[in-house]
Amino acid sequence: MESIRRRRLIFVWIFIVCILFTLLFVVIQKTKMMVVCVLLSIISFVLLYQQNRLYSTAKLIYDNRILTVPSSIVTTHNSTEKRMTEETIVSTFGLILGNKVYKWGCDGIRGVRLNNVQMDHEHIRLIFGAENKKFHVELLHSLSDKQKVAEIAEKIRHETGVQTQITDW
Amino acid sequence: MKKPINPRLLSVVSFSFVFAYLLSFLFEGQVLYSIIDVYGVNAHPYILSAIIAHLAGLLTCGFFIKSQQAAKHTVAVGMLICILATIPFFFAPSILWMLALIVLGFLAGWTVAIWGYSLKAFTLKNERIKSCADVLIYSNIIMIVVNVVAMNASPMIGLLLAMLCLVIGSVLSLQLPVDVNEVTLTEMNHKPVSDLKKPLLVLCLFVVIITINSGLMYQVINPAFEHLTGLVSWFWALPYIIALAFMRNFPLHNKMHRSLFLYIGMGMIIAAFITFMLLGREAIDYLVVDTLMLGACGIFDLFWWSILGEMLSYTKNPAKVFGIGLSANVLGVLLGDVLGVIITSIHLSKAEVAVMALTVVCITLVMLPPLNKQLLLLLKSHVYLNSFDLMDKDRQEGILNQSQMKDPLTEREQEVLQVILSGKSNKEIAAMLFITESTVKTHVRNIFSKYDVSSRAELITTLLKNHTDS
Repeated sequence: MESIRRRRLIFVWIFIVCILFTLLFVVIQKTKMMVVCVLLSIISFVLLYQQNRLYSTAKLIYDNRILTVPSSIVTTHNSTEKRMTEETIVSTFGLILGNKVYKWGCDGIRGVRLNNVQMDHEHIRLIFGAENKKFHVELLHSLSDKQKVAEIAEKIRHETGVQTQITDW
Repeated sequence: MKKPINPRLLSVVSFSFVFAYLLSFLFEGQVLYSIIDVYGVNAHPYILSAIIAHLAGLLTCGFFIKSQQAAKHTVAVGMLICILATIPFFFAPSILWMLALIVLGFLAGWTVAIWGYSLKAFTLKNERIKSCADVLIYSNIIMIVVNVVAMNASPMIGLLLAMLCLVIGSVLSLQLPVDVNEVTLTEMNHKPVSDLKKPLLVLCLFVVIITINSGLMYQVINPAFEHLTGLVSWFWALPYIIALAFMRNFPLHNKMHRSLFLYIGMGMIIAAFITFMLLGREAIDYLVVDTLMLGACGIFDLFWWSILGEMLSYTKNPAKVFGIGLSANVLGVLLGDVLGVIITSIHLSKAEVAVMALTVVCITLVMLPPLNKQLLLLLKSHVYLNSFDLMDKDRQEGILNQSQMKDPLTEREQEVLQVILSGKSNKEIAAMLFITESTVKTHVRNIFSKYDVSSRAELITTLLKNHTDS
């Protein structure tokens, strides 16, 4: 979350610098440089806009977090497996894996949906995405309290409508 | 046994006389213009002072007058002061003119706003369009008579007639009963769940945009036909009256009819400006331009007066809602006047002035359809929120649990929907459910998507429709 915020701040500064240079070249009447800076300003604005959206989604996920775990395994639709050792935040609206944000249930019926949640003694498995592009995320939850697990399952059901399958408890 | 007077008719007739005084004299009336012409003084400061004071009166009335009893007393005292304040205009211009216009403008604003009480108390909700139309028709007929006298006989006789209107209006308004009849008691006892601020704001914006055209018309079209004094004095408001009479008897409750009339009015205004540019300045040309322009004004005026009238059912302070609604009209006229003065003062040719005015009109008219849509949706949702609040628990649950949607709501979304239907804002929902505002926005967005709607107002309308269908 913090790294996403920092990255957004960097883009804010890039955008400001581009604007300042544009103004400078307008004042000293260097047309070619001005055009270059205008283009850079537009590009940096688009990137800033994207970062801002990413930050908003990350903040939404962070505000609604239900679990924070130290590591995770992400499997994409083409079975590529990726082990992440960064802190992972799980929420009813998605996941934050280091710099990466995976969201669901944010964009209505056309958006990405959470499809399935499974929990056992060690892991929590989340399956989300569209029919042809599904992501599987496996996290080590390190929970030992059955009551806590039940609370998480209930929260997921209440917020997303997905019934968590709890096994081996 | 003496037959009791119909309070609706009495309130309409009394207000028509008061309004006729306003139209013929105080509010850019021909009587005032004629008297100012007689003495050859600059009309602008007087006209502007009266309009600004009137605007202030309309805006402030509801904040001070909060009961029908207080309204009746205020009207009685206000009318007496108005009659006295009209007297200086029988004499040569002095500082008294300015003072009198300010006092008259302000008190007339209060009197007009106060009529909101009568409109609500003595006319059924679905009949208010007729009462509004009657007031506008009667007052314009009286205004024509006063104008003809002022322009063709003597301005002073015209002023005398305007004063007589005020006296008749005062005497009749004193005969009005104070007690609110049974029809409105239920309305008064029910506390609305959502306030009228947003629909009223949209209506005000709508009215301002519509009436900017009237102000422009005064400044751009009127001076071109000044030489046709005789014809202008009686024909000026005739198309307006005819349009009102037609609209009065046409059912406007259907959303499609309302929108259709809006488009017809827009077409007529544009046609009026185009014919103004293409035609000459003869009597027949005036008849065409004025018919199109004032016909459109009649359609537009009754359109928003009727909406304002309907809104009175959902307020405990009709003077406030009515006053604010009408103040938007005055503000629109004022802005149109200012625009007209700017356009005519930059020394362009007449054709260029007309083109500029037409451009302004087109720009303003483009904004009307989306505003109309938004306004109707807001009003519908306002009405629905109030009726939802009055429903029993089972019916409320029936609406919340209806399955006519693309995807079932989650439990959390159902909670959010329930709070939306109690008229709460996102911020209030967030506080109630102990979640952040952006989380509420996400839930609301999901609910919209599942019901395939794009706004809160549309959601409420859809829910109502689905429930009625099932």
